[in-house]
Amino acid sequence: MTARARRSGWLGQHAAAEGLVMLAVLGWWWMSNSLSAMVLPSPVSVLKRTFDLFVDPELSRHALVTFLRVAGSVFISLVVGLALALLARRAQWIDAIVRDRILVALNALPSVGWAILALIWFKASTLSVMFVQVMILLPFAVTNFMEGLRNLDAEVVEMAHSFTRRRRAVFAKITLPMMLPYGVAALRTSYGICWKIALVAELFGAQSGLGQLMLRAQAAADATTVLATCFAIVVLFAAGQKLVIDPIARAMRADLHQP
Amino acid sequence: MLIVWFFAAQALPPYQLPGPIKVGDKLAWLVATPAGLWHVAASIFHVAAAMLASFVLGFFVALLPLYLPVAVIMVDGRFTPFVNSFPGIGWTMLAIVWLGIGTNTVVFSVTIILLPFMIINLREGVRALDRELMEMAGSFSRSRARAFRLIILPSLFPFMFSAMRVSFGVSWKVTLTAELLGGTTGLGYLMNVARQELDTAQIFAVMLLIVLLVYAINRLLFDTAQRHLQLGRVGAAS
Repeated sequence: MTARARRSGWLGQHAAAEGLVMLAVLGWWWMSNSLSAMVLPSPVSVLKRTFDLFVDPELSRHALVTFLRVAGSVFISLVVGLALALLARRAQWIDAIVRDRILVALNALPSVGWAILALIWFKASTLSVMFVQVMILLPFAVTNFMEGLRNLDAEVVEMAHSFTRRRRAVFAKITLPMMLPYGVAALRTSYGICWKIALVAELFGAQSGLGQLMLRAQAAADATTVLATCFAIVVLFAAGQKLVIDPIARAMRADLHQP
Repeated sequence: MLIVWFFAAQALPPYQLPGPIKVGDKLAWLVATPAGLWHVAASIFHVAAAMLASFVLGFFVALLPLYLPVAVIMVDGRFTPFVNSFPGIGWTMLAIVWLGIGTNTVVFSVTIILLPFMIINLREGVRALDRELMEMAGSFSRSRARAFRLIILPSLFPFMFSAMRVSFGVSWKVTLTAELLGGTTGLGYLMNVARQELDTAQIFAVMLLIVLLVYAINRLLFDTAQRHLQLGRVGAAS
Protein backbone atom coordinates (compact mmCIF):
# COMPACT_ATOMS: atom_id res chain seq x y z
CA MET A 1 0.00 0.00 0.00
CA THR A 2 1.42 3.41 -0.86
CA ALA A 3 1.57 6.19 1.69
CA ARG A 4 -1.07 8.10 -0.20
CA ALA A 5 -3.49 5.21 -0.27
CA ARG A 6 -2.96 4.67 3.44
CA ARG A 7 -3.58 8.33 4.12
CA SER A 8 -6.81 8.40 2.20
CA GLY A 9 -7.86 5.22 4.00
CA TRP A 10 -7.16 6.96 7.29
CA LEU A 11 -9.16 9.99 6.21
CA GLY A 12 -12.06 7.87 5.02
CA GLN A 13 -12.06 5.93 8.24
CA HIS A 14 -12.19 9.08 10.31
CA ALA A 15 -14.91 10.51 8.12
CA ALA A 16 -16.95 7.36 8.60
CA ALA A 17 -16.32 7.26 12.34
CA GLU A 18 -17.11 10.93 12.96
CA GLY A 19 -20.06 10.61 10.60
CA LEU A 20 -21.50 7.83 12.70
CA VAL A 21 -21.10 9.86 15.88
CA MET A 22 -22.77 12.89 14.31
CA LEU A 23 -25.53 10.73 12.89
CA ALA A 24 -26.13 9.16 16.28
CA VAL A 25 -26.32 12.56 18.03
CA LEU A 26 -28.56 13.95 15.29
CA GLY A 27 -30.84 10.92 15.49
CA TRP A 28 -30.98 11.30 19.25
CA TRP A 29 -31.81 15.00 18.94
CA TRP A 30 -34.47 14.33 16.30
CA MET A 31 -36.11 11.60 18.34
CA SER A 32 -36.00 13.63 21.53
CA ASN A 33 -38.02 16.33 19.74
CA SER A 34 -41.01 14.08 19.40
CA LEU A 35 -40.65 12.32 22.76
CA SER A 36 -41.15 13.76 26.21
CA ALA A 37 -38.05 14.72 28.20
CA MET A 38 -39.03 12.06 30.71
CA VAL A 39 -38.45 9.36 28.10
CA LEU A 40 -35.64 10.84 26.05
CA PRO A 41 -34.21 14.24 26.94
CA SER A 42 -32.46 16.24 24.24
CA PRO A 43 -28.67 15.96 23.88
CA VAL A 44 -28.31 19.66 24.70
CA SER A 45 -29.98 19.41 28.10
CA VAL A 46 -28.04 16.24 28.94
CA LEU A 47 -24.76 17.94 28.00
CA LYS A 48 -25.65 20.91 30.18
CA ARG A 49 -26.51 18.66 33.13
CA THR A 50 -23.29 16.66 32.68
CA PHE A 51 -21.36 19.93 32.78
CA ASP A 52 -23.26 20.89 35.94
CA LEU A 53 -22.20 17.63 37.56
CA PHE A 54 -18.61 18.87 37.51
CA VAL A 55 -19.03 22.57 38.27
CA ASP A 56 -22.08 22.90 40.49
CA PRO A 57 -20.72 22.69 44.06
CA GLU A 58 -23.65 20.62 45.35
CA LEU A 59 -23.47 18.13 42.44
CA SER A 60 -19.71 17.98 41.97
CA ARG A 61 -19.40 16.76 45.56
CA HIS A 62 -21.05 13.52 44.42
CA ALA A 63 -18.65 13.10 41.51
CA LEU A 64 -15.65 13.75 43.76
CA VAL A 65 -16.84 11.28 46.39
CA THR A 66 -17.32 8.57 43.77
CA PHE A 67 -13.87 9.21 42.30
CA LEU A 68 -12.16 9.06 45.70
CA ARG A 69 -13.94 5.84 46.59
CA VAL A 70 -12.80 4.23 43.35
CA ALA A 71 -9.21 5.34 43.92
CA GLY A 72 -9.24 4.08 47.50
CA SER A 73 -10.76 0.72 46.62
CA VAL A 74 -8.31 0.10 43.78
CA PHE A 75 -5.40 0.87 46.12
CA ILE A 76 -6.68 -1.37 48.92
CA SER A 77 -7.44 -4.28 46.61
CA LEU A 78 -3.96 -4.08 45.06
CA VAL A 79 -2.27 -4.14 48.48
CA VAL A 80 -4.46 -6.94 49.84
CA GLY A 81 -4.19 -8.83 46.54
CA LEU A 82 -0.39 -8.71 46.62
CA ALA A 83 -0.38 -9.83 50.24
CA LEU A 84 -2.67 -12.78 49.48
CA ALA A 85 -0.61 -13.80 46.44
CA LEU A 86 2.60 -13.67 48.49
CA LEU A 87 0.94 -15.64 51.26
CA ALA A 88 -0.20 -18.29 48.78
CA ARG A 89 3.40 -18.79 47.67
CA ARG A 90 4.43 -19.76 51.18
CA ALA A 91 2.79 -23.18 51.14
CA GLN A 92 1.00 -25.53 48.81
CA TRP A 93 -2.09 -25.78 50.97
CA ILE A 94 -2.58 -22.00 51.23
CA ASP A 95 -2.20 -21.78 47.46
CA ALA A 96 -4.88 -24.44 47.03
CA ILE A 97 -7.27 -22.63 49.37
CA VAL A 98 -6.73 -19.27 47.68
CA ARG A 99 -6.91 -20.65 44.14
CA ASP A 100 -9.67 -23.21 44.40
CA ARG A 101 -11.90 -21.74 47.08
CA ILE A 102 -11.43 -18.02 47.70
CA LEU A 103 -10.86 -17.03 44.06
CA VAL A 104 -13.65 -19.24 42.71
CA ALA A 105 -16.14 -17.91 45.23
CA LEU A 106 -15.11 -14.25 44.92
CA ASN A 107 -15.12 -14.44 41.13
CA ALA A 108 -18.63 -15.82 41.01
CA LEU A 109 -20.23 -13.65 43.69
CA PRO A 110 -22.24 -10.84 42.14
CA SER A 111 -21.70 -7.21 43.09
CA VAL A 112 -25.40 -6.63 43.87
CA GLY A 113 -25.26 -9.44 46.40
CA TRP A 114 -22.31 -7.81 48.12
CA ALA A 115 -24.03 -4.44 47.92
CA ILE A 116 -27.12 -5.66 49.74
CA LEU A 117 -25.11 -7.55 52.34
CA ALA A 118 -22.85 -4.54 52.89
CA LEU A 119 -25.91 -2.38 53.45
CA ILE A 120 -27.15 -4.79 56.12
CA TRP A 121 -23.74 -5.14 57.76
CA PHE A 122 -22.31 -1.63 57.59
CA LYS A 123 -25.39 0.56 56.99
CA ALA A 124 -25.28 3.12 54.20
CA SER A 125 -21.77 4.53 54.31
CA THR A 126 -18.49 4.90 52.43
CA LEU A 127 -17.25 1.80 54.24
CA SER A 128 -20.08 -0.22 52.76
CA VAL A 129 -19.38 1.04 49.21
CA MET A 130 -15.66 0.39 49.42
CA PHE A 131 -16.25 -3.05 50.92
CA VAL A 132 -18.29 -4.02 47.86
CA GLN A 133 -15.69 -2.62 45.46
CA VAL A 134 -12.76 -4.32 47.18
CA MET A 135 -14.58 -7.66 47.27
CA ILE A 136 -15.20 -7.47 43.53
CA LEU A 137 -11.68 -6.25 42.64
CA LEU A 138 -9.77 -8.62 44.89
CA PRO A 139 -9.93 -11.74 42.65
CA PHE A 140 -8.56 -9.79 39.69
CA ALA A 141 -5.68 -8.37 41.71
CA VAL A 142 -4.84 -11.74 43.27
CA THR A 143 -4.95 -13.54 39.92
CA ASN A 144 -2.61 -10.99 38.33
CA PHE A 145 -0.10 -11.09 41.16
CA MET A 146 -0.18 -14.88 41.38
CA GLU A 147 0.50 -15.04 37.66
CA GLY A 148 3.41 -12.65 38.17
CA LEU A 149 4.87 -14.71 41.01
CA ARG A 150 4.49 -17.89 38.97
CA ASN A 151 6.48 -16.36 36.13
CA LEU A 152 9.21 -15.01 38.40
CA ASP A 153 12.52 -15.93 36.93
CA ALA A 154 13.59 -18.66 39.35
CA GLU A 155 17.23 -18.40 38.29
CA VAL A 156 17.41 -14.69 38.94
CA VAL A 157 15.94 -15.21 42.40
CA GLU A 158 18.40 -18.02 43.05
CA MET A 159 21.27 -15.82 41.98
CA ALA A 160 20.03 -13.08 44.27
CA HIS A 161 19.94 -15.53 47.15
CA SER A 162 23.50 -16.57 46.45
CA PHE A 163 24.58 -12.93 46.75
CA THR A 164 22.79 -12.17 49.98
CA ARG A 165 20.95 -13.95 52.73
CA ARG A 166 18.73 -11.02 53.45
CA ARG A 167 15.30 -12.06 52.21
CA ARG A 168 14.03 -8.52 52.53
CA ALA A 169 16.71 -7.20 50.20
CA VAL A 170 15.92 -9.87 47.61
CA PHE A 171 12.24 -9.06 47.89
CA ALA A 172 12.72 -5.32 47.46
CA LYS A 173 15.41 -5.46 44.77
CA ILE A 174 14.34 -8.50 42.72
CA THR A 175 10.84 -9.77 43.44
CA LEU A 176 9.01 -6.45 43.55
CA PRO A 177 10.57 -4.97 40.39
CA MET A 178 9.88 -8.17 38.48
CA MET A 179 6.28 -8.02 39.65
CA LEU A 180 5.82 -4.45 38.41
CA PRO A 181 4.36 -5.29 34.98
CA TYR A 182 1.80 -7.52 36.64
CA GLY A 183 1.05 -4.80 39.15
CA VAL A 184 0.40 -2.38 36.31
CA ALA A 185 -1.87 -4.92 34.62
CA ALA A 186 -3.71 -5.42 37.91
CA LEU A 187 -4.03 -1.64 38.31
CA ARG A 188 -5.47 -1.22 34.83
CA THR A 189 -7.94 -4.07 35.15
CA SER A 190 -9.05 -3.07 38.64
CA TYR A 191 -9.48 0.54 37.64
CA GLY A 192 -11.72 -0.36 34.69
CA ILE A 193 -13.82 -2.81 36.66
CA CYS A 194 -14.15 -0.53 39.64
CA TRP A 195 -15.81 2.13 37.51
CA LYS A 196 -18.14 -0.47 36.11
CA ILE A 197 -19.37 -1.47 39.55
CA ALA A 198 -19.03 1.92 41.26
CA LEU A 199 -22.63 2.79 40.49
CA VAL A 200 -24.01 -0.56 41.66
CA ALA A 201 -22.05 -0.31 44.88
CA GLU A 202 -23.39 3.18 45.57
CA LEU A 203 -26.94 2.42 44.55
CA PHE A 204 -27.87 0.79 47.84
CA GLY A 205 -25.07 1.33 50.27
CA ALA A 206 -24.42 5.06 50.14
CA GLN A 207 -25.83 8.44 50.99
CA SER A 208 -23.71 10.27 48.45
CA GLY A 209 -21.99 9.66 45.15
CA LEU A 210 -23.09 9.39 41.55
CA GLY A 211 -24.89 6.09 42.14
CA GLN A 212 -27.17 7.71 44.72
CA LEU A 213 -27.68 10.69 42.46
CA MET A 214 -28.75 8.38 39.66
CA LEU A 215 -31.11 6.38 41.87
CA ARG A 216 -32.78 9.55 43.11
CA ALA A 217 -33.05 10.87 39.56
CA GLN A 218 -34.62 7.62 38.40
CA ALA A 219 -37.14 7.69 41.22
CA ALA A 220 -38.04 11.26 40.22
CA ALA A 221 -38.36 10.23 36.54
CA ASP A 222 -35.54 12.65 35.72
CA ALA A 223 -34.05 10.96 32.65
CA THR A 224 -31.82 13.98 31.98
CA THR A 225 -29.87 13.44 35.20
CA VAL A 226 -29.75 9.64 34.70
CA LEU A 227 -28.11 10.10 31.31
CA ALA A 228 -25.88 12.91 32.58
CA THR A 229 -24.62 10.67 35.40
CA CYS A 230 -23.77 7.97 32.85
CA PHE A 231 -21.78 10.42 30.76
CA ALA A 232 -20.10 11.86 33.84
CA ILE A 233 -18.88 8.33 34.63
CA VAL A 234 -17.54 7.95 31.09
CA VAL A 235 -15.71 11.30 31.39
CA LEU A 236 -14.31 10.55 34.86
CA PHE A 237 -13.18 7.10 33.79
CA ALA A 238 -11.40 8.43 30.71
CA ALA A 239 -9.83 11.34 32.60
CA GLY A 240 -8.49 9.08 35.34
CA GLN A 241 -7.15 6.69 32.72
CA LYS A 242 -5.35 9.41 30.77
CA LEU A 243 -4.17 11.54 33.71
CA VAL A 244 -3.39 8.95 36.38
CA ILE A 245 -3.23 5.36 35.14
CA ASP A 246 -1.34 5.91 31.88
CA PRO A 247 1.38 8.10 33.45
CA ILE A 248 1.86 5.56 36.26
CA ALA A 249 2.17 2.74 33.75
CA ARG A 250 4.65 4.75 31.70
CA ALA A 251 6.70 5.71 34.75
CA MET A 252 6.90 2.09 35.84
CA ARG A 253 7.95 0.95 32.41
CA ALA A 254 10.66 3.61 32.29
CA ASP A 255 11.79 2.60 35.75
CA LEU A 256 12.03 -1.00 34.67
CA HIS A 257 14.25 -0.27 31.71
CA GLN A 258 16.71 1.84 33.63
CA PRO A 259 20.01 0.06 34.16
CA MET B 1 -15.25 -22.81 57.40
CA LEU B 2 -18.78 -24.16 57.75
CA ILE B 3 -18.17 -24.63 61.47
CA VAL B 4 -16.92 -21.06 61.94
CA TRP B 5 -19.95 -19.83 60.03
CA PHE B 6 -22.26 -21.91 62.25
CA PHE B 7 -20.88 -20.50 65.48
CA ALA B 8 -20.63 -16.93 64.21
CA ALA B 9 -24.27 -17.17 63.18
CA GLN B 10 -25.18 -18.25 66.71
CA ALA B 11 -23.63 -15.11 68.11
CA LEU B 12 -25.11 -12.63 65.61
CA PRO B 13 -28.76 -11.82 64.94
CA PRO B 14 -30.11 -13.81 61.95
CA TYR B 15 -30.75 -10.72 59.84
CA GLN B 16 -27.02 -9.97 59.95
CA LEU B 17 -25.71 -13.49 59.52
CA PRO B 18 -28.13 -16.38 59.11
CA GLY B 19 -26.91 -19.88 60.04
CA PRO B 20 -25.97 -22.47 57.45
CA ILE B 21 -29.04 -24.57 58.19
CA LYS B 22 -31.45 -21.72 57.45
CA VAL B 23 -29.60 -20.87 54.25
CA GLY B 24 -29.71 -24.56 53.29
CA ASP B 25 -33.49 -24.53 53.77
CA LYS B 26 -33.85 -21.55 51.47
CA LEU B 27 -31.54 -23.13 48.92
CA ALA B 28 -33.69 -26.27 48.96
CA TRP B 29 -36.76 -24.10 48.38
CA LEU B 30 -35.06 -22.54 45.34
CA VAL B 31 -34.11 -25.75 43.60
CA ALA B 32 -36.82 -28.16 44.75
CA THR B 33 -40.14 -26.31 44.62
CA PRO B 34 -41.95 -25.18 41.44
CA ALA B 35 -42.08 -21.57 42.66
CA GLY B 36 -38.35 -21.47 43.34
CA LEU B 37 -37.43 -23.29 40.15
CA TRP B 38 -39.56 -20.87 38.15
CA HIS B 39 -37.30 -17.99 39.19
CA VAL B 40 -34.15 -20.01 38.54
CA ALA B 41 -35.46 -20.90 35.07
CA ALA B 42 -36.36 -17.26 34.40
CA SER B 43 -32.80 -16.17 35.22
CA ILE B 44 -31.31 -18.89 33.03
CA PHE B 45 -33.58 -17.77 30.21
CA HIS B 46 -32.52 -14.12 30.65
CA VAL B 47 -28.85 -15.06 30.58
CA ALA B 48 -29.23 -17.33 27.53
CA ALA B 49 -31.33 -14.87 25.53
CA ALA B 50 -29.01 -11.95 26.23
CA MET B 51 -25.89 -13.98 25.43
CA LEU B 52 -27.34 -15.14 22.14
CA ALA B 53 -28.48 -11.65 21.14
CA SER B 54 -25.20 -9.99 22.07
CA PHE B 55 -23.19 -12.72 20.33
CA VAL B 56 -25.08 -12.26 17.06
CA LEU B 57 -24.83 -8.45 17.29
CA GLY B 58 -21.20 -8.55 18.33
CA PHE B 59 -20.35 -10.93 15.51
CA PHE B 60 -21.76 -8.54 12.92
CA VAL B 61 -20.06 -5.50 14.42
CA ALA B 62 -16.72 -7.32 14.72
CA LEU B 63 -16.78 -8.58 11.14
CA LEU B 64 -17.99 -5.32 9.64
CA PRO B 65 -14.48 -3.80 9.24
CA LEU B 66 -13.29 -6.97 7.50
CA TYR B 67 -15.67 -6.36 4.60
CA LEU B 68 -15.92 -2.60 4.96
CA PRO B 69 -12.39 -1.38 5.77
CA VAL B 70 -13.59 2.20 6.12
CA ALA B 71 -15.39 1.19 9.35
CA VAL B 72 -12.27 0.28 11.36
CA ILE B 73 -12.07 3.47 13.45
CA MET B 74 -15.85 3.59 13.63
CA VAL B 75 -15.89 0.22 15.38
CA ASP B 76 -12.61 0.20 17.31
CA GLY B 77 -12.37 3.89 18.10
CA ARG B 78 -15.95 5.01 18.64
CA PHE B 79 -18.59 2.33 19.05
CA THR B 80 -16.75 -0.22 21.21
CA PRO B 81 -15.20 2.26 23.69
CA PHE B 82 -18.59 3.91 24.04
CA VAL B 83 -20.56 0.76 24.89
CA ASN B 84 -17.64 -0.44 26.97
CA SER B 85 -17.48 2.61 29.20
CA PHE B 86 -21.18 3.43 29.47
CA PRO B 87 -22.28 2.18 32.89
CA GLY B 88 -24.46 -0.92 32.97
CA ILE B 89 -26.86 0.47 35.54
CA GLY B 90 -27.46 3.38 33.21
CA TRP B 91 -28.71 1.01 30.53
CA THR B 92 -30.98 -0.71 33.02
CA MET B 93 -32.41 2.61 34.26
CA LEU B 94 -33.02 3.79 30.70
CA ALA B 95 -34.56 0.46 29.73
CA ILE B 96 -36.99 0.75 32.63
CA VAL B 97 -38.14 4.09 31.24
CA TRP B 98 -38.28 2.88 27.64
CA LEU B 99 -39.58 -0.68 27.98
CA GLY B 100 -41.20 -0.77 31.40
CA ILE B 101 -40.43 -3.33 34.08
CA GLY B 102 -40.21 -6.90 32.85
CA THR B 103 -38.34 -9.43 30.74
CA ASN B 104 -37.68 -7.02 27.85
CA THR B 105 -35.84 -4.59 30.10
CA VAL B 106 -33.69 -7.32 31.63
CA VAL B 107 -32.73 -8.93 28.33
CA PHE B 108 -32.14 -5.57 26.63
CA SER B 109 -29.84 -4.18 29.29
CA VAL B 110 -27.87 -7.42 29.72
CA THR B 111 -27.46 -7.68 25.94
CA ILE B 112 -25.97 -4.20 25.68
CA ILE B 113 -23.72 -4.75 28.69
CA LEU B 114 -22.36 -7.99 27.20
CA LEU B 115 -21.90 -6.49 23.74
CA PRO B 116 -18.43 -4.94 24.31
CA PHE B 117 -17.07 -8.20 25.74
CA MET B 118 -18.22 -10.03 22.63
CA ILE B 119 -16.88 -7.38 20.24
CA ILE B 120 -13.49 -7.06 21.93
CA ASN B 121 -12.88 -10.82 21.86
CA LEU B 122 -14.11 -11.31 18.31
CA ARG B 123 -12.22 -8.26 17.01
CA GLU B 124 -9.07 -9.78 18.46
CA GLY B 125 -9.82 -12.86 16.36
CA VAL B 126 -10.48 -10.85 13.22
CA ARG B 127 -7.21 -8.98 13.70
CA ALA B 128 -5.36 -12.26 14.15
CA LEU B 129 -6.74 -13.66 10.89
CA ASP B 130 -3.87 -14.92 8.83
CA ARG B 131 -3.49 -12.52 5.89
CA GLU B 132 -1.59 -15.04 3.82
CA LEU B 133 -4.13 -17.76 4.44
CA MET B 134 -6.86 -15.38 3.30
CA GLU B 135 -4.88 -14.48 0.20
CA MET B 136 -4.39 -18.13 -0.60
CA ALA B 137 -8.08 -18.77 -0.14
CA GLY B 138 -8.78 -15.90 -2.52
CA SER B 139 -6.47 -17.37 -5.14
CA PHE B 140 -8.12 -20.76 -4.90
CA SER B 141 -11.68 -19.63 -5.09
CA ARG B 142 -13.50 -16.44 -5.86
CA SER B 143 -16.42 -17.37 -3.70
CA ARG B 144 -16.40 -15.11 -0.65
CA ALA B 145 -18.97 -17.31 1.06
CA ARG B 146 -16.66 -20.29 0.75
CA ALA B 147 -13.69 -18.37 2.12
CA PHE B 148 -15.88 -17.27 5.01
CA ARG B 149 -17.08 -20.77 5.80
CA LEU B 150 -13.78 -22.58 5.34
CA ILE B 151 -11.19 -20.05 6.51
CA ILE B 152 -12.64 -17.17 8.50
CA LEU B 153 -15.16 -19.03 10.62
CA PRO B 154 -12.78 -21.82 11.73
CA SER B 155 -10.03 -19.28 12.57
CA LEU B 156 -12.49 -17.39 14.71
CA PHE B 157 -13.65 -20.41 16.72
CA PRO B 158 -11.22 -20.02 19.63
CA PHE B 159 -12.11 -16.33 19.91
CA MET B 160 -15.83 -17.04 19.80
CA PHE B 161 -15.26 -19.49 22.55
CA SER B 162 -13.43 -17.03 24.77
CA ALA B 163 -16.05 -14.37 24.00
CA MET B 164 -18.75 -16.74 25.23
CA ARG B 165 -16.75 -17.74 28.26
CA VAL B 166 -15.97 -14.21 29.38
CA SER B 167 -19.53 -13.04 28.78
CA PHE B 168 -20.98 -15.98 30.64
CA GLY B 169 -19.18 -15.03 33.82
CA VAL B 170 -20.24 -11.40 33.46
CA SER B 171 -23.78 -12.19 32.39
CA TRP B 172 -24.84 -13.76 35.70
CA LYS B 173 -23.75 -10.77 37.68
CA VAL B 174 -25.36 -8.17 35.49
CA THR B 175 -28.53 -10.22 35.04
CA LEU B 176 -28.92 -10.20 38.78
CA THR B 177 -28.61 -6.41 38.87
CA ALA B 178 -30.98 -5.96 35.95
CA GLU B 179 -33.58 -8.29 37.47
CA LEU B 180 -33.25 -6.60 40.81
CA LEU B 181 -34.00 -3.16 39.39
CA GLY B 182 -36.16 -3.88 36.39
CA GLY B 183 -37.50 -7.43 36.58
CA THR B 184 -40.58 -9.21 37.82
CA THR B 185 -39.06 -12.70 37.82
CA GLY B 186 -35.66 -14.28 38.35
CA LEU B 187 -33.12 -14.59 41.11
CA GLY B 188 -32.42 -10.86 41.14
CA TYR B 189 -36.09 -10.15 41.74
CA LEU B 190 -36.09 -12.62 44.64
CA MET B 191 -33.08 -10.82 46.02
CA ASN B 192 -34.89 -7.50 45.90
CA VAL B 193 -37.86 -8.98 47.77
CA ALA B 194 -35.47 -10.47 50.31
CA ARG B 195 -33.75 -7.12 50.73
CA GLN B 196 -37.01 -5.36 51.53
CA GLU B 197 -37.98 -8.05 54.03
CA LEU B 198 -34.47 -8.19 55.52
CA ASP B 199 -34.49 -11.91 54.69
CA THR B 200 -30.72 -12.31 54.72
CA ALA B 201 -30.93 -16.11 54.49
CA GLN B 202 -32.63 -15.76 51.12
CA ILE B 203 -29.87 -13.40 49.89
CA PHE B 204 -27.22 -15.90 50.96
CA ALA B 205 -29.11 -18.72 49.26
CA VAL B 206 -29.38 -16.83 45.96
CA MET B 207 -25.68 -15.89 46.00
CA LEU B 208 -24.69 -19.45 46.87
CA LEU B 209 -26.86 -20.86 44.10
CA ILE B 210 -25.29 -18.52 41.56
CA VAL B 211 -21.78 -19.51 42.61
CA LEU B 212 -22.75 -23.18 42.26
CA LEU B 213 -24.47 -22.65 38.91
CA VAL B 214 -21.61 -20.66 37.39
CA TYR B 215 -19.06 -23.17 38.67
CA ALA B 216 -21.04 -26.17 37.42
CA ILE B 217 -21.75 -24.74 33.98
CA ASN B 218 -18.13 -23.62 33.60
CA ARG B 219 -16.93 -27.10 34.48
CA LEU B 220 -19.50 -29.10 32.56
CA LEU B 221 -20.02 -26.98 29.50
CA PHE B 222 -17.02 -24.75 28.89
CA ASP B 223 -14.23 -27.00 30.14
CA THR B 224 -15.61 -29.94 28.18
CA ALA B 225 -16.09 -27.84 25.06
CA GLN B 226 -12.56 -26.47 25.39
CA ARG B 227 -11.10 -29.96 25.64
CA HIS B 228 -12.99 -30.99 22.51
CA LEU B 229 -11.89 -27.87 20.67
CA GLN B 230 -8.24 -28.50 21.49
CA LEU B 231 -8.51 -32.17 20.60
CA GLY B 232 -10.10 -31.18 17.29
CA ARG B 233 -7.27 -28.83 16.47
CA VAL B 234 -4.57 -31.28 17.41
CA GLY B 235 -6.32 -33.89 15.29
CA ALA B 236 -6.44 -31.52 12.34
CA ALA B 237 -2.78 -30.66 12.63
CA SER B 238 -1.49 -34.21 12.80
